[in-house]
Amino acid sequence: MASPDAVVLAQELRHSYDKKRFALDGVSFSVRRGEVFGLLGKNGAGKSTLIKAMTTLIQPTSGTLRVLGMDPAREGTRIRSRIGVVQQAESFDFTTVQGNLDVYGMLWGIPRSERTKRREALLTRFGLTEIRKRRAFDISGGQKRRVQVAKEFMHDMEILFLDEPTVGLDVIMRRTLLDSIREEVRRGLTVVFTTHNLEEADYLCDRVAVIDEGKILILDTVENLKRLYGGKKTIDITVGNAHAPAFFAELSRELGPNVTVTVSGPSAVLLTDDPKAALGKIAALSQSMDAQLEWLNVRKNTLEDVFLKSVGGGGEGAGAP
Amino acid sequence: MRALGLPKLIRLIYRNIWVNTDPGSLIILLGLPALYLIFFGFGFQSISSGGGGHSYLAFLTPGILSFQVVMAGTVGGSVLWADRRYGMFAQLLSGPFSRLQYLLGIMLTSMLFGLGGAAVMLGVAWVLIGSGPTAPLAFGVMFGTIIVGSIFFGALMLFLGAMVKSNVAYNSIQILLIFLINFASTVFYPLSSSLPLGIQILFQINPLTYVADTVRGAYAGSLALTDVYQMLVLAAETVVVLFLAVRAYLRSELSYE
Repeated sequence: MASPDAVVLAQELRHSYDKKRFALDGVSFSVRRGEVFGLLGKNGAGKSTLIKAMTTLIQPTSGTLRVLGMDPAREGTRIRSRIGVVQQAESFDFTTVQGNLDVYGMLWGIPRSERTKRREALLTRFGLTEIRKRRAFDISGGQKRRVQVAKEFMHDMEILFLDEPTVGLDVIMRRTLLDSIREEVRRGLTVVFTTHNLEEADYLCDRVAVIDEGKILILDTVENLKRLYGGKKTIDITVGNAHAPAFFAELSRELGPNVTVTVSGPSAVLLTDDPKAALGKIAALSQSMDAQLEWLNVRKNTLEDVFLKSVGGGGEGAGAP
Repeated sequence: MRALGLPKLIRLIYRNIWVNTDPGSLIILLGLPALYLIFFGFGFQSISSGGGGHSYLAFLTPGILSFQVVMAGTVGGSVLWADRRYGMFAQLLSGPFSRLQYLLGIMLTSMLFGLGGAAVMLGVAWVLIGSGPTAPLAFGVMFGTIIVGSIFFGALMLFLGAMVKSNVAYNSIQILLIFLINFASTVFYPLSSSLPLGIQILFQINPLTYVADTVRGAYAGSLALTDVYQMLVLAAETVVVLFLAVRAYLRSELSYE
């Protein structure tokens, strides 16, 4: 059941570009007003298609979609006048950095004096002051990305859709952008954010949906997802000799169904709520099988563990769910 | 007019002009036709009139005014192509604009460049020749023809911009088209029976010939019934090309690949 304050509502959304394969395959979710909603997924999982559908750029093949209570197929222009979009692909005009901000503000009908005020604040906030007179096509990829994100803040909006906005940004600028978004959220903005950077999602999102092959696999708050395995801890192991496959197979059998073992070559990730017992079995087994432990690390669960678990993580084998 | 969202349309036109009026673009758009007028006008003057009078310059001036519609068309095609290539097409269409507004914005920008360029060329010619048309009807016909011609060539280049995805292909096709359209028309010389038949046919099917002949008739104060027929043919061709351009545009992908 959708929340009454949902600003985006999708039910059984499907979309196919070629009538053979579904880029979206029965996606249902809602986004609440004032939250940061993250869409996590590998490349080609369907995140950008979903953003394009929500921003009215494509019409889903089937299903129901409402944005701000309106149908994108019939009220696209009205929806678009109340949202902001930062696309994954670069977008800029053939003018200077500050010209790009000015033109974009003008296009949104922002009065000149307000435009100047916003432009100056954004140039400072995104570290663009020194390159303000340079042509946008003549600056680096990361700088272009900053211009692209900055200009979206030239206008007012109710929902901001960001499709992997931090790609190409350095660590400082990434944090600046995420903090800017947080600041806008505090003022009431709703944000829908796609990324495959799990740290970002952890830092910014209230709720995340993990999407793979056009389907939503998990949808919950970040905290709930991290608690998904109760008080479980993660153990990373790397075995340095040829015993690895047999070692992990035996370890998985000995640890039983309550421990998840995801194997990738000579390494494995274990999820367990009793790390002490697991460590004892690892030590005993390494002795009995003469397996050389090269790396052993016990840590708290991260969103990345949840993500890898839900999309398979490219592992070769796994134990119990 | 409400459905067109007039203020939004004006903003789109303003933006198209803003990002296309850098000095480099202006030199090409206005400087090139002016140089044609000066160099071809005076250069061929000596052949056509033995060095006296202004006959070739007077013949060329309306041709160069007409040439502006082709230059204006390239603005329209370039705006769409560059917007697709550099992501602004999808960005604008995820903003408060409809596809129709975006299309009209480009067409009207082309038209404004055509009219502005023609007005500048008229001024340059006036300086070179020392006289020009003064009758309101002449101005009305000239600028009316230039508006229709700008729509035709704007639509043609829009069609090209919507269909072609490669930078090299777009530039090559555009250069070839501009060459053919300009030199297989009556912009620089009259249609003569001494021309090879193939070239005569090219002249006669070339819409720029109709634009040039009508503008020339109005400029010289010698409008005839044939000019009206030419205008009707031009208008009909414009409708066809506009239809094809709109169809290609509406089917075009949002992003350049």
